[in-house]
Amino acid sequence: MRILILMGAGALLAIAADQATLDRGRKEAGLACTPCHSLRLVESQRLSRATWNKELDKMTGWGTKITDREALLEYLVANYGDDKPPSPPAMSKNGVPPGKKQ
Amino acid sequence: MSFTRRSLFATIAAGAVSSQAARGADDPLAIPGKRPMILHNDWPEDLETPVRYFDSWVTPIEAFFVRQHLPRPSKIDPSAYRLTVNGMVAKPLELTLADLQKLPQYTIPATIECTGNGRGFYVPKVPGIQWMRGAIGNAEWRGPRVSDVLKMAGVNSSAAFIDTDGADTGLASTPDFVRSLPMSKAMHPATILALSMNGQTPDIHGFPVRLIVPGWDGTSSVKWVVRISATAQANTGFFMNPGYRYPKYALPPGTPAKPAELEVIEGMPVKSSITAPDDQQKIVLGPATVRGFAWAGENAIERVEVSTDGGSRWRDAQLSPKKLPFAWRLWTLEWTPPDPGYYTLMSRATDTAGRVQPIVSPWNPSGYLWNAIDRVGVTVEKSA
Repeated sequence: MRILILMGAGALLAIAADQATLDRGRKEAGLACTPCHSLRLVESQRLSRATWNKELDKMTGWGTKITDREALLEYLVANYGDDKPPSPPAMSKNGVPPGKKQ
Repeated sequence: MSFTRRSLFATIAAGAVSSQAARGADDPLAIPGKRPMILHNDWPEDLETPVRYFDSWVTPIEAFFVRQHLPRPSKIDPSAYRLTVNGMVAKPLELTLADLQKLPQYTIPATIECTGNGRGFYVPKVPGIQWMRGAIGNAEWRGPRVSDVLKMAGVNSSAAFIDTDGADTGLASTPDFVRSLPMSKAMHPATILALSMNGQTPDIHGFPVRLIVPGWDGTSSVKWVVRISATAQANTGFFMNPGYRYPKYALPPGTPAKPAELEVIEGMPVKSSITAPDDQQKIVLGPATVRGFAWAGENAIERVEVSTDGGSRWRDAQLSPKKLPFAWRLWTLEWTPPDPGYYTLMSRATDTAGRVQPIVSPWNPSGYLWNAIDRVGVTVEKSA
């Protein structure tokens, strides 16, 4: 019984740690990626851990400052891994002025 | 272009962050002059045309897809615009827009397709914009021939390429967007510097001057052209190598390419897409029209066949009349489904050189040149 309680507490701690990492990763995505492109470009992709890791190498090579790379990678894999369902397509709003001939 | 890189970076980065904060993450923006488009990237704007807009041979600017590697430059003042022509030329030039307008003008109907159109279909998934069918459009481009500009500059006969640089600039240490074009294609009479698109200014599509390289992948058609340099060697910048290269030998899906075995992409393959019905659409039992487009890079489309039974039997589709190199043909097939139920519709194009669309499009690490036989599912329902 005592062992079970200890195991349960350990699992809770592990989940909490993961969530903290994912939160740090989300924040890092906002800081590191958005000077050059919107987050939608990231969030519309579904890639394996190895491929996301290579993307981070590429972006670092292009001058992106990533301070919390480990958390960023975990965040990308957890939310935009290749096992996740594709995101529904987003549409822009109509930018054609009313009355303009199309 | 690099002289304003640092200040431009600061301006755009500040603008991007503040506009994102103002909009919020889930508040899609309106792109001036564009109908609602499939939004892959809010900035730089990467926009895909929904297939239901593909109902005319000329794609209106309002519906034309947008691909930008780098933030688009701030609007260029036409009176201050200069095109630098230099490198291996006898007489380097600084041409104004008026100079370009004085040269003989040619209208070239040409389909432009993003090299990565259809990337979203590849399995395993590859990084990059997950375009499906709509990173393509057909427009009437008009302007002077690149060959006339090069002749005016007295291009050296041993120059083998031209480098074309756009006014857009890389952020941070993102490479500048420069593309090389072999001289034989640069001198082709259909290769032009477009000053207009469908009779209008091209705006986000490259105002005031856009290179048009008919039949080649979209990335060859550099926007906002400010410099053309005649050179002996191909440019070695990122957007020529390793960017926009394709494996010489087909790879097992999911495996890396050998850098030495990657080749520059030139002419586009033969391809057709189904634009109606939309994939997974429900339609009512009765006569229906299956529609789409087909194009074949530097060739013309000879034939499009359509199957409504998952590829067992094929029928010839009706093709739009203009049979031109570089430009797509629209096609239709009248179809009356015999019963309600789920149908798999497919289209297969053949070009004037005898190339036929394959069943399987070769997987490649960058997800380029998707041209597999197209396929949509449609549910036919009894009318109420």
